[in-house]
Amino acid sequence: MRVRKNPDLTRRNFLRAAGGAAVALPLLSSLRAGAAAETFPKRLVLMYTPNGVIPDSWWPTNATSETAFDLNTIHAPLAAFKDRLLFLSGVDLTITSSGPGGLHQKGIGGLFTGQQLQSGDLFVDGCGQTAGWANGISVDQQVAKTLAVGTPITSLELGVRATENDVQGRIAYAGPGAPLPPMNNPSDVFTRLFSGFGQNSDEVAELQARRRSVLDTVQSQFKSISARVSTEDQQKLNAHVSLVRDLESRMAATSNGSAACVAPAVPAALDPTSEDDMPTIAALHLDMLATAFACDLTRVASFQISTSLNHIRYPWLNSLGEGHALSHEGPSDPDAHMELVTRQTWHAQMLANFLTRLSQIPEGSGTVLDNTLVLWGNEVSQGDTHSHLNMPFLMAGGGWYFRTGRYVQYQSASHNDLLVSVLNAMGDNATTFGQADTCHGPLANLV
Amino acid sequence: MRLVSRLLSSACVLTLAAVLGCSSGSPSGVTGANMGSAGSGIAGSGGAAGGDSVAALVCQPDLRPTSPLSLLTRVQYDATIADLLGDTSQPSQTFPPENQVEGFNNNTEVHIANPLLVEQFMDAAEGIAGRAVAANLTTLAPCAGTSVAEQTACGASFVTAFGKRAFRRPLLTDEALAFNTLFAGMVASRGYSVAVELTIEAMLQSPQFLYRVDAARAATPETGAVILDPYQMASRLSYFLTGTMPDDALFAAADAAQLASADEIEMQARRLLETPKARSMVRDFNEQWLRLDQLAGLARNPPDATTDVKDIGADYEESLQQFLDHVYWDKGDLSSLFLSPDMYVNARLAGVFGVDAPASGFAQVSTAPGQVGLLTQPALMAMLAHSDQSGPVQRGVFVREQILCIPVPPPPPNFNPVAPDPDPSLTTRERFKVHTVSPACSGCHQLIDGTGFGFENYDQLGRYRTQENGLPVDASGEMIGTGETALDGTFNGAAELSQRIAVSPRAQNCLATNWFRYAMGRVETPADSCSVLDVQKKFVTSGGQFKELLVALTLTDAFRYRPAVPEDM
Repeated sequence: MRVRKNPDLTRRNFLRAAGGAAVALPLLSSLRAGAAAETFPKRLVLMYTPNGVIPDSWWPTNATSETAFDLNTIHAPLAAFKDRLLFLSGVDLTITSSGPGGLHQKGIGGLFTGQQLQSGDLFVDGCGQTAGWANGISVDQQVAKTLAVGTPITSLELGVRATENDVQGRIAYAGPGAPLPPMNNPSDVFTRLFSGFGQNSDEVAELQARRRSVLDTVQSQFKSISARVSTEDQQKLNAHVSLVRDLESRMAATSNGSAACVAPAVPAALDPTSEDDMPTIAALHLDMLATAFACDLTRVASFQISTSLNHIRYPWLNSLGEGHALSHEGPSDPDAHMELVTRQTWHAQMLANFLTRLSQIPEGSGTVLDNTLVLWGNEVSQGDTHSHLNMPFLMAGGGWYFRTGRYVQYQSASHNDLLVSVLNAMGDNATTFGQADTCHGPLANLV
Repeated sequence: MRLVSRLLSSACVLTLAAVLGCSSGSPSGVTGANMGSAGSGIAGSGGAAGGDSVAALVCQPDLRPTSPLSLLTRVQYDATIADLLGDTSQPSQTFPPENQVEGFNNNTEVHIANPLLVEQFMDAAEGIAGRAVAANLTTLAPCAGTSVAEQTACGASFVTAFGKRAFRRPLLTDEALAFNTLFAGMVASRGYSVAVELTIEAMLQSPQFLYRVDAARAATPETGAVILDPYQMASRLSYFLTGTMPDDALFAAADAAQLASADEIEMQARRLLETPKARSMVRDFNEQWLRLDQLAGLARNPPDATTDVKDIGADYEESLQQFLDHVYWDKGDLSSLFLSPDMYVNARLAGVFGVDAPASGFAQVSTAPGQVGLLTQPALMAMLAHSDQSGPVQRGVFVREQILCIPVPPPPPNFNPVAPDPDPSLTTRERFKVHTVSPACSGCHQLIDGTGFGFENYDQLGRYRTQENGLPVDASGEMIGTGETALDGTFNGAAELSQRIAVSPRAQNCLATNWFRYAMGRVETPADSCSVLDVQKKFVTSGGQFKELLVALTLTDAFRYRPAVPEDM
């Protein structure tokens, strides 16, 4: 994707000439030249952490009203952003009360799609239950359909040791049965986002022209082959060629980045399968994501720390229990409880670091954080019960739409409704999302 | 306290599946009704030998096997690029990993295009084409001409010759036209080398390169099966047996319209199995069958302060792969797989296992205590363990599912597992006894733990032990509900279990079934029953010879035929 980033470099050259003023500067396309200088894009980030939480250390305490409450232990790192947070209790994964798959499988598959898993025997969980992929698009990809039009990258899926390549490792879906794999290696993310910084506009134009010729020929070959294969194979080829078309169409994308759009240093070589490298990888991912927002390379992202049912340890926290097994015994075992709280507090710290970074990127009279919404979820509410009731949902940002700084308590609300609220916040006026019979429109009392 | 319930809950909620799910079912009920239902397409396909409780596989010749488009895996992509252009840079390293089914990453149902992969295909193609033209233009696309017309003519030759190798068959007229058009336009505007470069880029992103296209419209009872054309057969053979594009001899055979008869296919298959690339392919299979990707990032607590086991997973994997190389290519039969007592160590593993370190690389150790064969290999024992404990549940599940193709029975719907909180002051085996003494747990766990306990002589690093915490290790186990009289029953230790498995028809058929999944890139369906049965039978008849198994796969209907297209009629 090198060329797609090149306009940015050109733009940065221009910014230097203009004295560093942070203004929107469409260069290769004049289409967005008329955009008002103070209109900034909205961004959505889905964050996922696995195996449930320790509820007693997660939910806010001393709540005397929606706005008067104390953050619990796990959310202590987020204290500086308390007025940007929105805790939602009493929201259930109603969708998973039936349908195929194990509890972790259907939890992670339904979390951001609002859909059940497809039936089938592709994937077997540890209990012998079988299922396919989630049966629909995830909310980030739905948002990307409109929000990401004209950005160089539709969405960025980032993973920290998210190396399980089946249903229990996927949170983002382009459509039914179409999961999106996360990038686990920061150096790949760097290459994808920033390696093109440095080419001049003539080089960029030439590269784009060549790519158009190549991709046009490629598309003609898909057409040729498609005519000769089965219906199922045609669907496969059609899906592929539409991605080629999308690639071609995004070549002309420009970015409206701010002065904070500066490529980071090339990340050191890291091992995405190593537990020890996890904190470094998480930090690099989130730092590059913030820069990608500053450069307007993308507006939609997901960030997952490992996968459901993982067995990993957190050695940098001196937490050497195996993740999933640890989660099974949390509340009844003081040591396990403490390990899990430590891990979950670290997850909150990652979010806090990201929010801090966004809050340091000026955008108009505010910062990028003012134009970003993070939805953080988990595939079960707590590990020892595998419950899908009262899920630990937390939103951060989204202040342009939601009334934040609150702890809102619902009673058996369906999480599909939360996903509708997210869509609405991102400018999509949908009234339903995911499986229709568990969706009743946006959650009340958020706006 | 924590440790115990953690172990109990380790294989998801196997424990808890048992708690609520298996208490009402007898072992025979479990293995009967549910056999083959989880994750496999044919009931009993893992092994139909003996035992009323195992559903038998029945050949159904009226059903036509499918033959879906098959997207190259990363391993196949890199090998193909190396053969096509001499580029050994392994450009797929940045591709997202394939989705997996039953451990296999070449499954045509889930290894499909996604946005990141398509983007990476473009980036890779640009890099590959740029390097090819920079290094090899004159050999790749020689041209004496200097005019646009002369160079365009050279381009047509290049499209014909290179296109045939890239697409693994001669180009159709409309295909050649499309690439000639691209080439002519680029020669005129940008010159010869750019034209070659962009033609390569386009071919490497075309479906004829990225997919193996040998199928046509889905089979119906009306449209019969059609034998693959010679080029399609050449690709099938080369990707199955060597993990890459056809070699010159296969192209020559296809050019000569051979590869239609079983004799010709068999001859080519036997030839390919003698090439070094067949060894890479067997490694690729074993990595997937045994799910060795779990070894990456293996995290085991060190046994003592001086032994470094950080990031040691790759050493374990190479150790196991060298063992498997030895079994497949020096020994060659199934019995040796389970009964070759060799272990391979490098300096690092030698330290862990307390044996002499080789001067360099890996060396065979034939006298390591406790080494029986595949099942006791250090890599497997270490992989199937917890960070600080052995893993009876993982080992039991592994033997039953991976080695014997007996799926774990599912729990009933709507069970809500709660981990028990048992007594911490016990040894590993004693801790796990709660599984089998509790009536609620025992239904399932006597199946699983009874197998896994037999490996208690191997700790979380795969090291042989006869004592644990000062107490003697009890490695007695019991096989239940396998459907084979000779396999069922009590046993003592991994050696006795391995002896039984080495002669078990179920184990033999299970391996044949896994090879079928790898060879075809899909889980078998009822329409494949005849082919699977045929392969299993030939494997048994040969005395468990791996080469005969692999050759037999290439001679099945599933391998040789595709569903007919209307235009075939």
